[in-house]
Amino acid sequence: MFDLIEPIVFAILAVGIVGAAAAVVLIDRITSAALLMAFTFLCVAGMFLLLGAEAVALFQVLIYVGAITVLILYGVMFTPQRHRAYALFFQKQTPLAGVVVALIALPVLVFSFSFKDAPDLQPRGGDLIPLATSLFGDYAFPFEVASVLLLAAMVGAIVLVRRDEDEELP
Amino acid sequence: MAVGPFGIDPVIWAVLRLLIALVLAVLLVLNGALLQIYLERKVQAIIQDRYGPLHVGPFGLLQTFADALKLLGKEDVRARLTDSAFFIAAPAIVFAPMLASFVVLPFSKDFTGMDRNIGLLYLTTLGSMTVLGIVIAGWASNNKYSLIGGLRSAGQLISYEVPQILALVTVVLAVGSMSMVAITESQPGPLVNVLVLPLAFVTYFIAALAETNRAPFDLPEAESELVAGFLTEYSGMRWGVFFLAEYGEVTVVCAIMTTLWFGGWHGPGVDAVPALGILWFTLKTYAFVIAFMWIRATLPRLRIDQLMGFCWKVLIPIALTNILATAVLLLAYPGQLWPVAIVNWLGVAFLVFGLPFMQKRRLGRFRGRVRAATLA
Repeated sequence: MFDLIEPIVFAILAVGIVGAAAAVVLIDRITSAALLMAFTFLCVAGMFLLLGAEAVALFQVLIYVGAITVLILYGVMFTPQRHRAYALFFQKQTPLAGVVVALIALPVLVFSFSFKDAPDLQPRGGDLIPLATSLFGDYAFPFEVASVLLLAAMVGAIVLVRRDEDEELP
Repeated sequence: MAVGPFGIDPVIWAVLRLLIALVLAVLLVLNGALLQIYLERKVQAIIQDRYGPLHVGPFGLLQTFADALKLLGKEDVRARLTDSAFFIAAPAIVFAPMLASFVVLPFSKDFTGMDRNIGLLYLTTLGSMTVLGIVIAGWASNNKYSLIGGLRSAGQLISYEVPQILALVTVVLAVGSMSMVAITESQPGPLVNVLVLPLAFVTYFIAALAETNRAPFDLPEAESELVAGFLTEYSGMRWGVFFLAEYGEVTVVCAIMTTLWFGGWHGPGVDAVPALGILWFTLKTYAFVIAFMWIRATLPRLRIDQLMGFCWKVLIPIALTNILATAVLLLAYPGQLWPVAIVNWLGVAFLVFGLPFMQKRRLGRFRGRVRAATLA
C-alpha cells in the first residue's frame, strides 16, 4: 500500500517545499513570507516522516515552526514596514540570483543522480535511541561546542537589552 | 489480493480508518468542550456561592447547547482592514494541532490511536504549534489590543514551554520510555509516578496552566485590560473555534498529567474489564480539568513581568536542577527510585515553604531601598 501512496505524498511535499520556498523569496509582504517559511519547514518535516525519521521530523516542527518562526514574526511586527528600499534592492537581483542558484543547484543535482546503488533505508521508528547515542556519544564534542555558541549568543542578547539597575520595577 | 480488517480492501480501509478517527476525535473535542463549559460555569458558581445555569434542561445541562447554537447562528463579522487570509487561517492553525494530539492519548490498553516511542515528543511538538496561530491572529486583526495580546502570548507560551518540556524529561528519565502506553504500564500499582516525581509534577502543572492560557496566566486574553487580547476582533464560530481549541488543549494537558503521573487507565477492576480503563482515564483527566477551574475561580491574574520572572527565575532553574539530580541519582542507584523520590519531595518542600520566604525578604529589601531613595 505504501508503494502507492508514498510517491504521491512525496510529490505533494516536494511541490510544497519548492513552491513555498520560492514564494518566501519572491513575495513582497514580509509577514506572508515568514508564514510561508513555516509552511516550508512543515513540509520538510513531512519529508523526514517519509524517510522514517520521526524524531527528527518532530524536532524540526518543535524548534522551527514552534519557536523560530514565532521569533521571526515577533521581530517583523516590531520592525517599521515603510522604508524598505534596501530590501527591495536585494529582491530585484533576479539574474544574479538565477546564476548563483544554478551554480549551487547543478552540482547537487549531478551528485544526487550519481547514486546508483544507495543503501536501503533503516527500519522505521525507534530512531530515538540511535539519535541520542550518536548525539551524546560520537558527536558529543561538536554538540557541546554548539551549545556554548548558543549560550554566548544568549548572554550577548541579554547584555544588549539589559536596563540600568535603578530603572528596575518591583 | 490482500484483504484488510472486516474484509475491506486495505487501500480503502486506510482512508476509512482515517475518517473514523477524525470523526471520533472531533466528536470527543466538541462534546468535551460542551461538558467543560457547563462544568466551568457550575464549578465557578459553586465557588462564588451562586447557582450557575439552572433553567435550560435539567440542572441547566442544555444551556451550553443553546449557547453553541447561538454561536453557530451568529453573523460572520469581519472588520474591513483585517488581513483576511491570515484572519481566517488563524483559528484553524490553533485548532488542527490540538485535534491531532488526540491520536496518541492512551485512553485504555486497547484504545490508543498510535503507540510509538515518540508519543510524548509528538504531544509537545503539537503543543508548541499553537503559538503560531495566536500570533497570527493578533497580527491579522489589525488592532492594537489584539497585537499586544498576540505578542504577550508569544512571549508567555515560548517561555513556559521550556519548564514544561524539562518536567517531562524528568519523567522520561525515570521511566525510560517516551511511549504513552509504556509510561502508563510502568505504574500499575498504587505507587504512581506522582509519589516518586512530585517536583516534576508541580512544575508541569504550573507550566501547563500557563501554556493553555488559563488563569492566573490568562494574560493573552485578559478581558479586563486587553479587551480579550487576540480574540478582540473575532466573533461567531471563529471565536468558537478558538475556544474549542482552548478547551481541547486543557483536556490534552490534563490527559498528559494523568498518564505521566497518575497511572493513566489503571484503577480498580481494570484487569478484569479492560474497557473500564477508559472510564478511569476520563475520570482522572476531568479531576484535573476541575482543578484548573478551581484555580481559575480562586487566584487573581499575574502581571506580565511577574509572569516572565516566575518562569525564568523560578521554574526553569528548578526544572533544570531536577533533571540533573534525577539523572545523577538514577546513574548512582540504577533501578532504584527512592533516592529520586526523596530529592523530589525536598524540592517540593523548598518550592512551597522556602520560596515565599525568599521572596518576602527580597521584597523587604527592595522596599527599604525605595524608602531610602525617596527620603534622600
